[in-house]
Amino acid sequence: MKISGSYTVNAERQAVWDRLLDPDSLASCLPGVEKLEKTGENEYDMAMNVGVGMIRGTYDGKVRVNNINEPTDYQMYVEGSGRPGFVKGTGNIELEDKGDGTTEITYEGDVEVGGPVGSVAQRMLGSVSKRMVDQFFSCVEDSIKKGS
Amino acid sequence: MKHEITVTVNGTKHTSEVDSRMLLVHYIRDVLNLTGTHVGCDTSQCGACTILLNGQAVKCCTMLAAQADGAEITTIEGLAQNGDLHPIQEGFWEEHGLQCGFCTPGMIMASYDLLKRIPNPDEQQIRHNLEGNLCRCTGYQNIVKSVQFASKKMSGAAGDD
Amino acid sequence: MAVTKMFGASVKRREDARMMTGRAHYTDDVRRNHTLHMGVVRSPHAHARITSVDTSAAASMPGVVAVFSGADLVDDIAPVPCAWLIPDSDLKVPEYRAIAVDKARFVGDAVAVVIAEDRYQAEDAADAVNVSYEPLDVVTNQEEAVKDGAPQLYDDVPNNLAFQWKLNGGDFDAAQNSAEVKISQRFVNQRLIPNAMEARGVLADFNPGSGSLEVWLTSQNPHIHRLLLSAVTGIPETDIRVDSTDVGGGFGSKIPLYGGEMVACAIAKKLGRPIKWMESRRENYVTTSHGRDHIDYVDLAATNDGVVTGLRVEAYANHGAYLSTAAPGVPTWLFGTMLSGPYKIPNISCTVNGVLTNTTTTDAYRGAGRPEATYLIERMMDLLAQELGMDPVEIRRKNFIQPDEFPYTVATTLQYDSGNYDGALDKALQMVGYEDLRKKQEQLRSEGRYLGIGFSTYVEVCGLAPSAAAGAMGFQGGLWESATVRVHPSGKATVFTGASPHGQGEETTFAQLISHETGIPFHDIEVVHSDTDRIPFGWGTYGSRSTAVGGSALVYAARNVVEKAKRFAAHMLESSPEDIEFNDGVFSVKGSPERSKTIQDVALAAHLAWDLPEGEKPGLEENYFFDPTNFTFPFGTHICVVEIDAETGAVDVQKYVAVDDLGNVINPMIVDGQVHGGIAQGLAQALYEYAAYDDGGQLLTGSMMDYCVPKFEHIPHMDVDRTVTTTPVNPMGLKGAGETGTIASTPAVVNAIIDALSPLGVKHIDMPLTSQRVWKVIEERKGS
Repeated sequence: MKISGSYTVNAERQAVWDRLLDPDSLASCLPGVEKLEKTGENEYDMAMNVGVGMIRGTYDGKVRVNNINEPTDYQMYVEGSGRPGFVKGTGNIELEDKGDGTTEITYEGDVEVGGPVGSVAQRMLGSVSKRMVDQFFSCVEDSIKKGS
Repeated sequence: MKHEITVTVNGTKHTSEVDSRMLLVHYIRDVLNLTGTHVGCDTSQCGACTILLNGQAVKCCTMLAAQADGAEITTIEGLAQNGDLHPIQEGFWEEHGLQCGFCTPGMIMASYDLLKRIPNPDEQQIRHNLEGNLCRCTGYQNIVKSVQFASKKMSGAAGDD
Repeated sequence: MAVTKMFGASVKRREDARMMTGRAHYTDDVRRNHTLHMGVVRSPHAHARITSVDTSAAASMPGVVAVFSGADLVDDIAPVPCAWLIPDSDLKVPEYRAIAVDKARFVGDAVAVVIAEDRYQAEDAADAVNVSYEPLDVVTNQEEAVKDGAPQLYDDVPNNLAFQWKLNGGDFDAAQNSAEVKISQRFVNQRLIPNAMEARGVLADFNPGSGSLEVWLTSQNPHIHRLLLSAVTGIPETDIRVDSTDVGGGFGSKIPLYGGEMVACAIAKKLGRPIKWMESRRENYVTTSHGRDHIDYVDLAATNDGVVTGLRVEAYANHGAYLSTAAPGVPTWLFGTMLSGPYKIPNISCTVNGVLTNTTTTDAYRGAGRPEATYLIERMMDLLAQELGMDPVEIRRKNFIQPDEFPYTVATTLQYDSGNYDGALDKALQMVGYEDLRKKQEQLRSEGRYLGIGFSTYVEVCGLAPSAAAGAMGFQGGLWESATVRVHPSGKATVFTGASPHGQGEETTFAQLISHETGIPFHDIEVVHSDTDRIPFGWGTYGSRSTAVGGSALVYAARNVVEKAKRFAAHMLESSPEDIEFNDGVFSVKGSPERSKTIQDVALAAHLAWDLPEGEKPGLEENYFFDPTNFTFPFGTHICVVEIDAETGAVDVQKYVAVDDLGNVINPMIVDGQVHGGIAQGLAQALYEYAAYDDGGQLLTGSMMDYCVPKFEHIPHMDVDRTVTTTPVNPMGLKGAGETGTIASTPAVVNAIIDALSPLGVKHIDMPLTSQRVWKVIEERKGS
């Protein structure tokens, strides 16, 4: 399943970039993250509790960040599996400096899901993933504002 | 976590300790051993588990047993009184409203609720109001006739329900 | 045969009493002390190597008694059997492990099972089994799977082709070369999910003391299941009892033997405690065999005046990841042999490619092969009519086998028993008001509205089957049926049938039949079925065979009971059997009706045996094993009238008329019910149902939220009626009723929609004809 979208953050590009690639803010802003541990350069183990439709459960998996071109773009790879099934996805994230103190984040990716979450909840996945992405970026924006 | 619940099922009071997550349908089937209430799906589509909870048709696979504390429940086993079939049961029998019989208890309980709200439904109303109950055998036609039979019979017997 | 007050009466069903009061005992309702519950860990990948199965965390969870991976049980259970080994087709039956050992081949393939004290604990522990997978490339579509370079499911099944089966009658190529009209069309007969309202399940109770295994099973054929369970577990057939008395619908999906049931039995033996497993609906959707899933390339040759001279079919049947129990026979024998329909088509050529893909297995689903054949032939007849500008009724009449031509052998080898195809068609035309409808259609068309009239003049093969035919087709069983009629000293009777009804009402029909034959009152006759400890043997209920074959066995057993009773009555009346008349349960001396004995009198005397006739044995009980000499061929005409909303593509079924000829009918009420339900399922295939997979092999329609099981408002009112053309194949002259509706209705609905849209030049839309698909075609056509 393809997902794409954009989100404008009211902050300078470098600040956004720093947050997006900071494991602590990832952990605090990715919805449902229960654990995020660094296992290597730009590689993390993650546990995430997510519900799609009626299928809720914990996914254990990995996050990897590749092709980093600071501060304009990077690639993110996520995979997780658990009782609800598995999720695998690759996404490209681009940051554009709008010149007015805001940054437009554009993302596009391909997500593959399987097992119960694939069979029972897949038609809800589009809206759920969009909502989660929006939650994530808005959380990042808040954390920049707070300067924490 | 355990909860103590008291429910009245088909006129008999039961007090039990149940797990937080126990579904009401499992309580009815596995604790009270009233196996006429069936499980046909896991997404609340099929209606095979329909019971009357405080007089209203409820799919009891969507409720926790703990939520039923204090409730009056009627299951299919409690519908016939003193050995006499309820007119809805009679209707299903007369009009061949069942084949494999698996959806039937839920279908009858949903019909009970329907006839309470709309005592003389037309075909369209029956079809619309029973949309939440699935049957794979009958093509629904004879279920419609069964409910019509019951409706006629029940409105003949004034004051019934 | 004479129609008495019992044969031909709409007697209310006796099974209803327990079902509508909640007192039936479906498998999940059966209780045994100390029962353990099984949870199954299933692959979320459609194709993956299983690199490790770690059960340690699960094993230590509360209530967990045992955890087994596939490897743990390899020595305890043989692979899931395939029992229809079609000959001359280069059939390859890949190994199908009840729990996958090194590779998972579809989403839902079992990889481990957990046994716990209750179901909640079993499910929790199943969550905790840690399986590592190495995902492999996936193929779900049968046409893709046979291409070079496609992902391979097995090393020893090249190009995923499990078999290639051919059937040829006449010379299609010659017919094609000399054809004045040629029509070609590709049809998709989409994959369906059977959706019996009761999912599958088992309660297996092994007694280590006696070595016996009692099994309550959701089964359409408990004796076949007993035999197969014995074969895969090694427990002798004599030590296994299978009971399937109350089953919540089957539609073919409870014919096969599945892994879950096998595993529960094997573990019950291992642990010495009862094991219960009831699949959830979600599991049912991915593990209980699906139906249909054909892609058919069809060529038809005809003359300019509409006489069909030849038909060729190249079919690709998607069998899923393994070959289920009866799978190879469904798209071959049950499909190819029916390709002539009710028409005289001298040249027929059929090739079926049986393909393995990373999807749930497919097997028999109501109609099994015959709906696929009927759909394509009935669609081709309409395409031919459209091409020639002929009325679809005329084109059918022109090609019908005529009543005086029976028995008629079609090019596909079957010999049709009897028929009057015009008779059923005439009656249906009258019921629907055909001429007025065509006028109305013309009127509405001039107003820009789309009314369509669709026909299906079907014939089907039922009453499966002469055992010799079963053998020739490679079915690993016979298809005869057994019956026992036991008259007790009190004059009441218990009858035992090898048929295994699960909604068809034979507890009632068979009591009517025995009452008709013996004169014993209906209420004094008990019908026992589906318990292998009580029934001599049975091949079960499918293929519209229960009454045609099982009923025949009962009739002959009953007649032998009456013959024996007649000899006893003659003895009691000091007369000779030739001088005894038998009427409605009373034996009397010809010419002196006052000298009489009832069958109840005789039953008592036969049991007391104080004064036996010369050479007679005590008791009044007969067994009969009936093997039919031929199949039966019900037929009829279904007409569907639709109006399409051109703005939305929504299909409004305005009228549905069915005239079926099933021969004689024992209980018209029950038969009408069978027809209603059949039509609903066939119509739902035409309009709503579709099991959809994504490219990764995930079932997208994996729940009742996503897969359209029709609801009340999806199914129209149906007007059903009958004509009666008896069959010589069995003593009742009846043909079978379980599948006709499903076989007939699908093409009638699709033909109606295409007829409605024909002013737009629409020739075909693949099923299901959802409003979205119809709307899209209308928009394309309007644009062009």
